[in-house]
Amino acid sequence: MPLHEPSTIFFQFDNVRRTIIASYWIIIILALPLWWKTTSIERLSLPSSRVRNQASKELRLPVHIQLPGPYLDTTKRSQDQLAQTLSRQGVDVVFTGGHVEGSNPTYILKHGTNGLVLSDRELEYDFSDESKLSTILSELLCPPQQGHLVAPYSPRFRLSFTLLNEDSTSGNYVRSWDVSSGIRRYITPLLDQLSLLHNFTIESQVQYHAPLAFKPRPSRLSSEDLSVFVNSAEWSLSSSASNDPVLHFVGFIPSQPLEMPESFLLPQWGGIVVHDPPSLSVDDVFPIFARQLLSLLGVFPLPAGVKYTDDVPISRWQLEALLRQRTLENTHSSQDTLRSIVTLVDQIEGMPVGWNVKDDILDALNALDKVYASSSASLRETAKQSTNAIALASRAFFNPDMLALLYFPAEHKYAVYAPLFASAVIPVIAAAVRELLAWRRQRQRRQQT
Amino acid sequence: MTRVPTFLLQVIASFLAGSCLAQASSSSGEEFSEELQIRPLRDGRVASTFSFRTFLHGATPRSPESLGSDDNSQHYHVFPLALGQILREYAVTELHLSMNAGKWNYDEWGYPGELGVATGAELWAWMGEGGISTVDERWAGLRNALSGLFCASLASMDEQRTTSPLMAFVPEGDLPNWPGPHLLRHASLPSEHVCTENLTPFLKLLPCKSLSGIASLLNPHRLFDADWHGMSVHVLWHANKGVEVGLSFQLVSDPLRQSSSKRRDWSFQSLFDRSIDNRCPVASSSTINVKLPTEEAYSLEPSPSSSDDGIGRYNLNVEGHLPSDIAMRWPSEFQYPLGSASVPLVPLALQRTLTGASQANGHLALRIQNRLNEELRVVYLETMPWLVQFYAHTLSATVDGRKHAGLISNVSYIPPLHHSRPTTFQAILTLPPKSTVALSMDVSKAFLRYTDHQPDAQRGWDLPSAIFVPLRNGSDRLDGHSLGQRIYTPTMLIDLATPDFSMPYNVIIFTCTVMAFIFGSVFNLLTRKFVVVHLDDQHKE
Amino acid sequence: MSKLSSSLGFVVPAISTCKFLAYLTGIPDILIHDQQLISPLTSYFRLQEGLYLFQNGIDPYDGGSFHHSPLLLALFDTMIPTSRLVAYALWCLCDAFAALALVKIWRSRQRVAQSSRDALIASAYLLNPYLLLPSLALSTSTVDNALTLLSLSYACQGNASASLLLLALLVHMSPSSILILAPIILLLLSDPLSHLASPKLFPTGLDRAVPLLFTFIIYMGVLTVASCIAAGNLLWISRSWGSNLMLPDLTPNPGMWWYFFTEMFDHFRPFFLMVFSVHLLIYIAPICIKFQYDPLYAGFLLLGVLGTFKAYPTLADPGLFLSMIALFPEVYPYFRHPIVTALLHIHSALLLPLFNRLWLTQGTGNANFFYASTLVFACSNGAALIDCIWAGLRIAVGEAKEGDHVVQE
Repeated sequence: MPLHEPSTIFFQFDNVRRTIIASYWIIIILALPLWWKTTSIERLSLPSSRVRNQASKELRLPVHIQLPGPYLDTTKRSQDQLAQTLSRQGVDVVFTGGHVEGSNPTYILKHGTNGLVLSDRELEYDFSDESKLSTILSELLCPPQQGHLVAPYSPRFRLSFTLLNEDSTSGNYVRSWDVSSGIRRYITPLLDQLSLLHNFTIESQVQYHAPLAFKPRPSRLSSEDLSVFVNSAEWSLSSSASNDPVLHFVGFIPSQPLEMPESFLLPQWGGIVVHDPPSLSVDDVFPIFARQLLSLLGVFPLPAGVKYTDDVPISRWQLEALLRQRTLENTHSSQDTLRSIVTLVDQIEGMPVGWNVKDDILDALNALDKVYASSSASLRETAKQSTNAIALASRAFFNPDMLALLYFPAEHKYAVYAPLFASAVIPVIAAAVRELLAWRRQRQRRQQT
Repeated sequence: MTRVPTFLLQVIASFLAGSCLAQASSSSGEEFSEELQIRPLRDGRVASTFSFRTFLHGATPRSPESLGSDDNSQHYHVFPLALGQILREYAVTELHLSMNAGKWNYDEWGYPGELGVATGAELWAWMGEGGISTVDERWAGLRNALSGLFCASLASMDEQRTTSPLMAFVPEGDLPNWPGPHLLRHASLPSEHVCTENLTPFLKLLPCKSLSGIASLLNPHRLFDADWHGMSVHVLWHANKGVEVGLSFQLVSDPLRQSSSKRRDWSFQSLFDRSIDNRCPVASSSTINVKLPTEEAYSLEPSPSSSDDGIGRYNLNVEGHLPSDIAMRWPSEFQYPLGSASVPLVPLALQRTLTGASQANGHLALRIQNRLNEELRVVYLETMPWLVQFYAHTLSATVDGRKHAGLISNVSYIPPLHHSRPTTFQAILTLPPKSTVALSMDVSKAFLRYTDHQPDAQRGWDLPSAIFVPLRNGSDRLDGHSLGQRIYTPTMLIDLATPDFSMPYNVIIFTCTVMAFIFGSVFNLLTRKFVVVHLDDQHKE
Repeated sequence: MSKLSSSLGFVVPAISTCKFLAYLTGIPDILIHDQQLISPLTSYFRLQEGLYLFQNGIDPYDGGSFHHSPLLLALFDTMIPTSRLVAYALWCLCDAFAALALVKIWRSRQRVAQSSRDALIASAYLLNPYLLLPSLALSTSTVDNALTLLSLSYACQGNASASLLLLALLVHMSPSSILILAPIILLLLSDPLSHLASPKLFPTGLDRAVPLLFTFIIYMGVLTVASCIAAGNLLWISRSWGSNLMLPDLTPNPGMWWYFFTEMFDHFRPFFLMVFSVHLLIYIAPICIKFQYDPLYAGFLLLGVLGTFKAYPTLADPGLFLSMIALFPEVYPYFRHPIVTALLHIHSALLLPLFNRLWLTQGTGNANFFYASTLVFACSNGAALIDCIWAGLRIAVGEAKEGDHVVQE
């Protein structure tokens, strides 16, 4: 077969070659969205500016105090002092002479000489001695925090009542207790009042062998002994069935009398009542448990000298002070949590952000908005919204989907992509560039001629 | 409380005054009893079965419909709270968990006291359908919770190991009549090893832990030295009585191994290195039963408080002496019984093997010997992880070497799905009297991604036991009354081909390079121009 | 097939009879699990298992191991008895038909009624070990190959309907064969004669391709509906077609996919599955554009691409490509490295079974041994493909004068 001049062969024509190169590029470009789809991780944009905005706000809760008319002006110094103290804790005090319209309740001070008597939202105070006024009010409205003692806020608590016999074979043991009636009489009324803040589940058990982890010395137990009193290795107190925090209340029956305080509190963990046999009456033990429960949940004790005689176990002053405290705390920590999420997502590029995380964050932000909107109107509403906000913010923070992060450093990606792209795509790119240049030269030449 | 011995009542009454007597009655809803059964075996070993039963009278399982709302408060005295919480949280009606180490030798030891003797862990549960979460979600939660409770890797019994073998597993208690049906979930984990870290939480579920009563014999050092040991948890509901929790521990110890004089004498001290010093004060009954040999002379000290049906009984709650140690002695040295003379203890002899040298294919071969003089029908259950693919069309059966049709009936087969579902193969086999049936089936072994392999990939994968359940005469229905006692085959090990675990980057580079080379060459051929070159003076024409 | 040349009339029956006798010696039982000869998608053993499940009321697509088309299932369930003997006869017939189809393609290309090379071409197909062994192992790729050649042969004769129906059947059973749709349509629009030496623009407008494409789509639709009816649900689509894209079964084969995806990082698996699938498609347009004057050659080259790069190849896929070289004697003088390519093929054909056995049966080798031999095999297939492209193009330039060399710039 004779030799053909190569440039006259059909497939050597420029347009055939260019169509071929173009056909490669069409497939590559069509595949680009697939590339994106197969390697990208779901990462929704978060409302960062809204979160930062929200996090920079500071919640202030108003408190109205009504003074008997004549004393409104004479107690100015105490009023200023109180306003200053409470202001540091996020509470604004307003003193009035009469009733203030609005749903946010007003505390009423009355003049009386029977000492300090609390009832509902009223306090009898002897205005002849003004010196104690600001201290008493500050302790009642914003009591000093018992930080380390109080369990961190949780919307749900599991209350576990346990009767522990140190050694039931020793003869000194209590076989059973009437736990239901103890709870009904002493615990349930408290829980009903606290239901605005927490939900509770209750369980109880009896153990017949609960040895101590240390040898009780004949002398009194020291404070170190108290801190290691709970023998968590041997006492099966906690369970793995749910993630709710547990508050433990332990009635401990030692096999021989122990020289130690009858009851004590372990911060954030629970309370212990040591009870010597032979008899165990729930009327002895459960009032102590009730007191311990209140301390653990942050219900402050009434200041010394204050008399309280109402039927409900927790006074309105105490309950509302707790609400204020928890509201401030929850609002603050949900703001912090949201800010942390946003910072974290910004910092770690490979972290997936799914719809559930985004929705939780948006809902938490809305709840926070409602906290601020209702703060001057209704304390209960504010408290409710702040518990919502913290629950949503923590759920977003601990969302397991965000941990599904595949931590591939950029180098790793290049190492995986390079073998294919370097050797396969570069010739295709080079050919395209060469053709483009050639085409431009041709066009220039054509224009010149 | 009626069964609590009088002395205990006196003790209680002596310090429970006034209102406290009322409290005592509140615990009458719960009852705890314990029992130890000791059985000398014909190969000289001794089988001990500890059983602890707690009744929650009048209780019912939680209905799944109530899962959305808060549960009632749970107040227990002797019932294990940690387990109770799990049962309530996941609305489990019936639960069986067993964790065993070793291979149960049916030929020498007969049926075990507790049926679940599969090597490794086995968990099965009946749960009602309905409510806010599906049965599978609750099954996953249950696995995780039990895994935490017993410090075992039960959580890895995921959907890749979960089956629902309805022919071989029927409810042992009653199922409540709820609107939704009850579903079975079963999983086994043959590679699970049972050790002290599983026993400790097990003991904590007992009201007296291992500090008094029969449980004080449970000495980890000796238990885990035994030839075979296993623990199990059973939760049942009886419609008329309530919820029953049975915890049991079984072991087979070998006194001959420890004895210098070929004697199989045993005592609590020699078996457990412990004695019973105290009663468990809350046990309503506390008994030790010793199976007495029938044909040989022996001595048992102290002598049992009663004996009937060849069983010597000791009641620890009877006032009087507490037998802190029991010892059984034989006057003569032990002669190992040889071969054929011995009477079969179980109707079947089983042998299961995976043959074939290739890492790609193999044969599953079973030999089932019917030792009875009558025809026997058995349920055959095989569950396999998806790594093993059955070829059901190759299933063949022979009787004493001759092909035989009609041996296999009621076949139910669920083929496996990669990375999600195991195989379930159930069938009813008809075994002619005094014959050996051989089953065989081709299988193929999966090739896994390098990330799917276990850290010790070369060791192979454990395959769960096959289960055989003899059917009682003439019954065609499959329920608790027609099924006999389950028999487990030993587990197997399968050897899968492994890739080279150090290769990921190499393979990416090699394969991509070859592809790019071919692709690039084709691309160049298709896009470059032909030119004619004159080689003599190296310039283009 | 009315007038077979006497030698052809002797060769095909004789080889087929020998093969049938070989079946009876028990060879299939040795080969039926061989990973070079069958893949999970073409295994007769799995087909039987699927059939067994189907006949026992269990949906075979509900399990993870059955990847065959529902049409095969329906065919074997209703019309063909599942005895081994019938299967042997069927596989012999398939090969015989495929060989005759190859001969017909040859005759059409040469535009002769019969030729002296007929018998040679038929034996190039029937005696090609890459095709003979999978056929003895009862691999369904024998059926795929027969469908490919029959479709091409009808296309050469201009029988659009038959050709496209057979192609639709083929694509239905082996979706990656969609690669030869374009050359077959071009073939139907032009002629099968050799124009390699005289390239020219495609003679007719492409608008005439539209009805052909439409016919093909209708055939595909009908077959898909029929499959859905046969299978009873849509699960078969992901199990049968989807397995070509998702590679669920990593059983070794002589191709390039399995070890790559055994060792792939999970995060990049979807990406590379996409790249490998798109990579197959990227060859269609360039080859069809370049060889628009000889679509049969374009189809032949695309079959070479398939044999090298498809997801679950067996020896039968490159085997078809190699046997088809017999159709194009005009390019033989222009091969660049025919000896090297042939040696590479012999080399890898020896290495593959050896290392497979060393790794999986003897246990003395490891996976890398077999992986390396699949790479060599890929190189040899690639070398054959590149040689054929080169020769197909080079022939157009013609003989160079003494001292001159034809090269690509």
